[in-house]
Amino acid sequence: MNGILNVQQLNVEVASKKLISDISFGLEQGDYLCILGPNGAGKSTLLKALMGIVKTTSGDITLNQQSLSQLSQKQLAQHISYVPQAHGRQLNFNVADFIKMGRYPYHSAFSDWTSADKQAMDRAIDITNISDFLSRQMQTLSGGESQRVMIAAALCQQTPLLLLDEPTSFLDPHHQVEVHQLIRQLNQQHNISIIEVSHDLNHAAHHSKHILTLKNGKTLWYGQSAELLQSSHLQDLYDQQFVFTPHPQTGAMVALPCELSNDAP
Amino acid sequence: MKPFNILILILFATISIVLISPFLGLNRATNPEIQQHILTQLRIPRILFAFIAGAGLAVCGMVFQAMFRNPLATPFTLGVASGASLGAALYVFLGFSFSIMSIDGSTFAAFLGSLIAISFVYSISRLRSGFSTETLLLTGVAISFFFSSLILFTQYMSNVSDSFQILRWLMGSLTTVGYRDVLQLLPFVSVCIAVILWLSRELNLIMAGDDIALSRGLAVQKTRYVLFFVTSLCVGAIVALCGPIGFIGMMVPHICRLLIGSDHHWLTPATLLFGGSFLIICDTIARLIIAPAEIPVGVITTLLGGPFFLWLLIKSRNKSF
Repeated sequence: MNGILNVQQLNVEVASKKLISDISFGLEQGDYLCILGPNGAGKSTLLKALMGIVKTTSGDITLNQQSLSQLSQKQLAQHISYVPQAHGRQLNFNVADFIKMGRYPYHSAFSDWTSADKQAMDRAIDITNISDFLSRQMQTLSGGESQRVMIAAALCQQTPLLLLDEPTSFLDPHHQVEVHQLIRQLNQQHNISIIEVSHDLNHAAHHSKHILTLKNGKTLWYGQSAELLQSSHLQDLYDQQFVFTPHPQTGAMVALPCELSNDAP
Repeated sequence: MKPFNILILILFATISIVLISPFLGLNRATNPEIQQHILTQLRIPRILFAFIAGAGLAVCGMVFQAMFRNPLATPFTLGVASGASLGAALYVFLGFSFSIMSIDGSTFAAFLGSLIAISFVYSISRLRSGFSTETLLLTGVAISFFFSSLILFTQYMSNVSDSFQILRWLMGSLTTVGYRDVLQLLPFVSVCIAVILWLSRELNLIMAGDDIALSRGLAVQKTRYVLFFVTSLCVGAIVALCGPIGFIGMMVPHICRLLIGSDHHWLTPATLLFGGSFLIICDTIARLIIAPAEIPVGVITTLLGGPFFLWLLIKSRNKSF
């Protein structure tokens, strides 16, 4: 298989609590995988394990046929970049300085800023369209702006694989669409493989290629995104009834959560 | 204003302070020969020492603030300085007297003390993820109290001369420093500052938080250990010679951050210069305010630092760094 990422029997335990058990999946170059699941299912932990932020207990992660444990953190950061859950606005940095940090994996202690660094940075700024607020402080950005800056900083690392942890969770609908468009553009035009943790079922079903659903740290379902809304397992995943209806504008099937009580109108 | 221009301004201010302060209060001695002696044998080493110690304390404070991502976290507030004091006090109390490569044993004792305190605070802060700032500071306070009581105990058990020697430290004073002390301190502080300057990029990343630092490829844990080691060495060396001069490590880096921003490429040199000149100013005040007598410089810095600490505490409440 010519996948860039291969995860086998991954287990993560923190303080003798099992957060992830026996998760396996593969990812091919240019793939777009969405990870869905209820809160506390281990979605973020999985991303952090891939990024080397959380130590794995057992199992094997290979990146281009190379075991992750053999790579230094710096080498890993040349292959995978990561956008954490929204907290960009808590950072006390100038936007340009923060994006610049994305070039850290390519530098040693005494190396200078090269034209390749500048090129990568300009490209990231260009793609994410943030050139207007480069000189601002991170704390002064709006949620949507901050998320674009976080993505730009990750793009600066020029990695073939990008991990995104709930990139649209705290954004208004307009900015959700904007950030999702950006992610699709990265995937389709720039051939960056994406793993996105999301709560947006309909977005995942229609825009990603594959979906992995997690519950209590275990894989519940893995398959083609188009099949997500046809299968009955959404109900198992969230312990919640859904109704499926065609989108009035596009005709595509969308899932809507049902009201909890029976006396709802 | 650009960081470069601000740094140049700070540099000029520092040079003026270094040049002017030795002459302040010099005219009390009327005999030019005595004036000469005071200037070359007392004032100049004292100013040099104050600059090195102030720079070292300020830069260590800056590193702590970045590592714990909190403006209130400094070697002083987290009990590291008390650890160093305890080490030095025990050295006197137990009657040790040795030196390695002409460096006094008390420096090593203080270094060990600060290293123990730092490991303590760090392991407690790692016990549970999402440890709040308040808990961290309270841990530091608890450790400070603990070490202080041990210091009091050693002092109580010591004879009068040892006890006085210990007391002199705890107040933090530059009264009796000479060229020998300057030469003792210089290698430690310069090595420490050199390492910290060299790790500017890494400090920036650490300040962004572990997740971001790791995802940018920084071996966070290893960098932390290096930083803990050099700051312990620096704080230990300073405390062994002039006592725990408080709050410089909190005030100076914070003011510098407001002036020049958080990029450590600029922040470290600014903090170094500002910290050095700040301690010279405090020491000059301590020297002149009740002249011909002197008060320990630690009293001045703590008098300034206390209100500053409260101001930061109120201002930075519920807000991450």
